[in-house]
Amino acid sequence: MSEAETTASPTGRFRASSVGTSHAISIFAGIVFWGWLTTRWLNDWVLARLGIGPGAGENFVPREPFDAAAGSAIEAAERFSIGGLPFEWLNSLLETAGVAVLGWLGALLDTAGVAVGIAPALAGAAWYTILLTVISIALGFSIAVPLAVIRVYGGPLKWPALAYTELIRGTPLIAQLFVLYYGLPLAVWLQDTTLIGYGTIPEQAFWIAIIGFTINGSAYQAEYIRGALESVDEGQLTAARALGLSQIDGIRYVVLPQTLRYAIPAWTNELVYLLKYSSLAGFITVPELYNVASDIANSTFEFTAIFGLLAVVYLGLVLTATNIMSRVESYVAIPGIGAVEGRQQGDS
Amino acid sequence: MTDSQIDRSSRTDRGTDAEPSPLLRIEDLRKSYGDEEVLRGVDLEIERGDVEVLVGPSGSGKSTLLRCVNRLTEVDGGHIYLGDVDVCAPDTDPNEIRQQIGMVFQDINLFAHLTARENVMLGLRRVKGMDKEPALERAEEELDRVGLGDQVDSYPAQLSGGQKQRVGIARALAMDPELMLFDEPTSALDPELSNGVLDVMSKLVADGMTMLVVTHEMRFARGGATGITFLDKGEVVERGPPEQLFENPEKERTAEFFQSISHE
Repeated sequence: MSEAETTASPTGRFRASSVGTSHAISIFAGIVFWGWLTTRWLNDWVLARLGIGPGAGENFVPREPFDAAAGSAIEAAERFSIGGLPFEWLNSLLETAGVAVLGWLGALLDTAGVAVGIAPALAGAAWYTILLTVISIALGFSIAVPLAVIRVYGGPLKWPALAYTELIRGTPLIAQLFVLYYGLPLAVWLQDTTLIGYGTIPEQAFWIAIIGFTINGSAYQAEYIRGALESVDEGQLTAARALGLSQIDGIRYVVLPQTLRYAIPAWTNELVYLLKYSSLAGFITVPELYNVASDIANSTFEFTAIFGLLAVVYLGLVLTATNIMSRVESYVAIPGIGAVEGRQQGDS
Repeated sequence: MTDSQIDRSSRTDRGTDAEPSPLLRIEDLRKSYGDEEVLRGVDLEIERGDVEVLVGPSGSGKSTLLRCVNRLTEVDGGHIYLGDVDVCAPDTDPNEIRQQIGMVFQDINLFAHLTARENVMLGLRRVKGMDKEPALERAEEELDRVGLGDQVDSYPAQLSGGQKQRVGIARALAMDPELMLFDEPTSALDPELSNGVLDVMSKLVADGMTMLVVTHEMRFARGGATGITFLDKGEVVERGPPEQLFENPEKERTAEFFQSISHE
């Protein structure tokens, strides 16, 4: 992405101004998006309980004016007619155009009304999507690092690690989730666990989704990290060992710190995938974004409006994730390591 | 030329009764990669304070020999003794051996994610278990010693090849090794960058460091070495003081080799 940015900018001045404008737009969009989400959460979980504000799940912006405006626009379109102009063809042309514009405006207002109506539900669902993604990627990472190290340095242990990776990568995630949810007695155990499903702690399906995404993500992340491990020069570990470090210390203090920097771009990719395939948790009843949106769409038949807004929410989450990761990448960047080398130096 | 003419008068005496065994003794060392015999029974003894230069055509087994000494490569046969310790014995901990042997690589291998100072500190902290403060001071001393006191915060990618190699030497020296192995330390460097590295090595010679050096720098060999070993096809062809090998080699192959490199 940074590559495209650098190569697509012909001249310095053009680049500076376009980068400045797009930067300002993205900051503004970010503030609007996260402002909406955090206000929503604050209202639904805290303020509503204290009796402040419109109440949990209630709209901030009333939907009625949108619907009313949509109704009048459509009505106006139906009654729209133009007469009295000298030419008949001009009359009919202007009339057709007027009907089209009013109809389009009506549809737009209607869509906006639907979007306003489901926004509270999507904000709550977005919380589940974020939670699923963040917890699973972190747990998956903690499995993936040792797994990748075993794949590269583990001797004969690499075979079980390879088998795990191939089994997980070779089967569909949705099937893995179904096996965990319906096939194993896991759901029953979790249901019997005291804290699950009480108060603010999510139901067992959520935890099963976490387990599924952790296992699935660990296999993919392990492959990204393995690739990065293998790209670290062999001499690095040799030099560490020549100093008297054990192999595991050499890996820990010399190879992994470089590996993880190399792995950030690919790892970001996995994060973005996970944000979106967390929608599969909807199929085992977790009320995340896709699940909530499709439920509403199925009962209201407002597919375009609802999935349009859903796409915007996913896009906001994904752009936030990539933005954070590119900041992390430049924060931990070291001259000579990873993607930051050379290319981006003139960028800041 | 002058900086490689070393004053050896200040060097420590060796071969006294208190230290009867040589620092490094290699006996009948053998190593094969598959069908290819890289080392075919090499014998070598190095006393404390000796500077032995290994020369020979590429593929003669010089680098393999060095890597066997600190067990970066496992040997197939023969013995290596460091003092009284059998390096190759199964119950010898290679990490213990490696702490006593410093190694400098042809491709330098500085830890790319660490500054010069952190490169030197890593072994002190993680192998010797030193605290941060003393390790920091020691690292700066060592970098000062190789003339890089003003580059302690530079990352490897910000240093020239010669500077990098000097950090590599400082990193090895910080561990207080008894023996230093140099595996073609200047081969990857431009000639004008080699000089700084050779100066540092010459200083080490003057300080009495025991060194086993693989190099094509004949100026260093002439000026700094106590002995030269000419290795060819995995065997020691001839060994002796530099004057003898350069001026009056006994073997035809030795003469041919020195002739060929003098034309470079």
